[in-house]
Amino acid sequence: MSTSENPEEIPDQPAGQEVEASEPASPDATPNRMTWMEDTLEWGVRAQPGKHGLTMRDINTGIYGDVPDESQDMSRRPRGAFPIPGVPRTDLYTLNHKVELWADNAVDLYEEAIQRRWMAHIDIPWESMDPHSEEVELATRQLCTELAQQASIETDVIGQWLHHMNYAYHEVKTFLASELFDSGRHYAAFRQRALANGGGLGLESPGHMNRRILECRAGWTETALYLYILRGTLTLLLYRYGEAYAQDPAEKLLFRMCMQDKSRHMAYGMAHLKYAVDEKGPDYALGLRRLMGGVERDLASEMKDPVLWEALAIIIGRGVEHMDAGMAEVKNLQRRYIEEYLTRMKWIGVGKTADNLDQGLAAYLDQKESSPA
Amino acid sequence: MATVTNRTDYWEKARESGFDLSWLDQLKQNTMGETTNEFSENNTGRVEGSIPRGDVPQFGAYTFRTKKEVWAHNLTKLYQEFVTRQWSSATDIPWETIEALPDDIEAAECQLATFFAQVEFVASDVPGRFISTMSPDYHEVRMVLLGQVMDESRHLDVFRKRALANGGGLMRMIDSVSDVVGGSTDNAREFTELSSRLHITGEGNVLTLFRLGELMAYNEAEKAIYRRCAQDEARHVAIGVLHLRYMNEFTPERREEIHSYLDEGESRQSSGAGGENPAARNILTSDALAVLLGGGKDKTDEGQKILMAIRQRQTKEYFQRLKSAGFDDRITNGRVNPALLELANPA
Repeated sequence: MSTSENPEEIPDQPAGQEVEASEPASPDATPNRMTWMEDTLEWGVRAQPGKHGLTMRDINTGIYGDVPDESQDMSRRPRGAFPIPGVPRTDLYTLNHKVELWADNAVDLYEEAIQRRWMAHIDIPWESMDPHSEEVELATRQLCTELAQQASIETDVIGQWLHHMNYAYHEVKTFLASELFDSGRHYAAFRQRALANGGGLGLESPGHMNRRILECRAGWTETALYLYILRGTLTLLLYRYGEAYAQDPAEKLLFRMCMQDKSRHMAYGMAHLKYAVDEKGPDYALGLRRLMGGVERDLASEMKDPVLWEALAIIIGRGVEHMDAGMAEVKNLQRRYIEEYLTRMKWIGVGKTADNLDQGLAAYLDQKESSPA
Repeated sequence: MATVTNRTDYWEKARESGFDLSWLDQLKQNTMGETTNEFSENNTGRVEGSIPRGDVPQFGAYTFRTKKEVWAHNLTKLYQEFVTRQWSSATDIPWETIEALPDDIEAAECQLATFFAQVEFVASDVPGRFISTMSPDYHEVRMVLLGQVMDESRHLDVFRKRALANGGGLMRMIDSVSDVVGGSTDNAREFTELSSRLHITGEGNVLTLFRLGELMAYNEAEKAIYRRCAQDEARHVAIGVLHLRYMNEFTPERREEIHSYLDEGESRQSSGAGGENPAARNILTSDALAVLLGGGKDKTDEGQKILMAIRQRQTKEYFQRLKSAGFDDRITNGRVNPALLELANPA
């Protein structure tokens, strides 16, 4: 290893005023300066495009596809690149173990995110929006305000974890970058819908769950539990109901596209959580279950706030006059939310059941089904 | 459609049956302001313009809560461009046009690709960190940074793909830390500092190089990579130019501080410290560039001549950005890095 990465400093030059050396400065300024041409850990790689083009999975070949269980590399060295000695740390990454962030499907979900990109300002037929009654319009604004805030919180949460992730796991980093972009699009799209017919936005979220997700410091896995299983399950249901009860083609497509994105986010979250629980074992799973005790109480408290549910009841009932019917369906949604929460927890390997669920949430399981969505 | 009279009746009946509906009255009275607040009191992550509740903990505790720390004009339009011009490294690059290259050319392509695969995601990690500390009241800024996060992610991926698509492999990592004087992009804690360094100098240098990609590309796939990355990078540079322009206009008291960031950036632009300018003299990436530009490892003299022209163009484009942002006084008052001045105006 002989090539200097930086030019020789020029003596007597004021700080911040370095000039280019007039002569080649590095030891590589010799007939042998091209030694870097030999510096590769594996040569002769010829990844071939498949039917979906040249994907990230296609290039995970040879050593370049070897994902380490642990990385102590604190630089941004691309996985499989030729290391050089004596490189100072770039950062003190805190997520350096595969088990802390990995999901096998992240590499495919990243490509899918790009293939399925869409543009709220162009792809949504805003011109198709029908005028709603005032109360339905207000309720729609409230729902969209809530969904925009959920997206914004998602942005903050991922943004504050992304830079802690070691570069050995670039598949996860790039996927989460795509989720960040998605969350920005969701924020913009729901805000646009809320303001599309004039007037203002609705009330901010009660904040208990936002606080939990944003303030989580225990790890990315714990944060993912909140972000995907607790919050994502509800968000996805709200998108489904939004699509089912959309008032016009613009709303229908908006919810449908967001649903597609959110399903992808959930696919990563579920796969990571299952992987982490499988790898770390029953004690960790028990810890996650206990962790959710207090969070469930906060969720139960948040769910008592009437604003989102009443807005949904008005949308579903098509007005205040049929709000009772709408609320019956909202109760179905609430029940499904808690049922899906339990199902997802079980799927990842955490023994969360109706028996050890917070009582406030368990009450939603007893809500009778009235008219399935 | 219900009339006003019977709607009022419905609302009353709904309240009598247990619904709250007070939020409906609040929504009716809420209107959107025309201007962005100079100071954000939003510490709860609420959407700009939404109705605050009094009982929400201030868990946002955003570091950046004043407009003049982060703002720039015309960002909504720029964000729409981010969204509209997304592309896929899997399907929008004609990978089938790649053919076997001589080993020295392939090694140089792979070395350059390794460099870009290493450095591009810094512009995802760091903006991501800043977004999460910025009040949602300045969502326009957050949105363009999100666009950049996505772009840089794709750049990491497309250059990794290039290195592994044509019989080569990843090559030597670079040392982006040693010999860095002053602050670094990774370590920046202040948005204007970050933007000056990342968008104006760092990405500006790379933009020039991408724009000249035709010179170092050996097939249509590589041309497409550089062309598309240049388009992305231009947006990132625009964030910085628009922000500095705003700062110049509305925070003249910070001009001297901003000049100090530019001092550091220029130092790196000319020296190559931190790997911020891959075309700087006597560094690994410029060796690789010389091979590509000259047409082989035995033709690097020719390559070095072209590299010199590239450095000159980098400098001229940088000066143009300074002018656009309102900081071009440094070009004429003796503050600009003398090496850059010499490059722009060779004797």
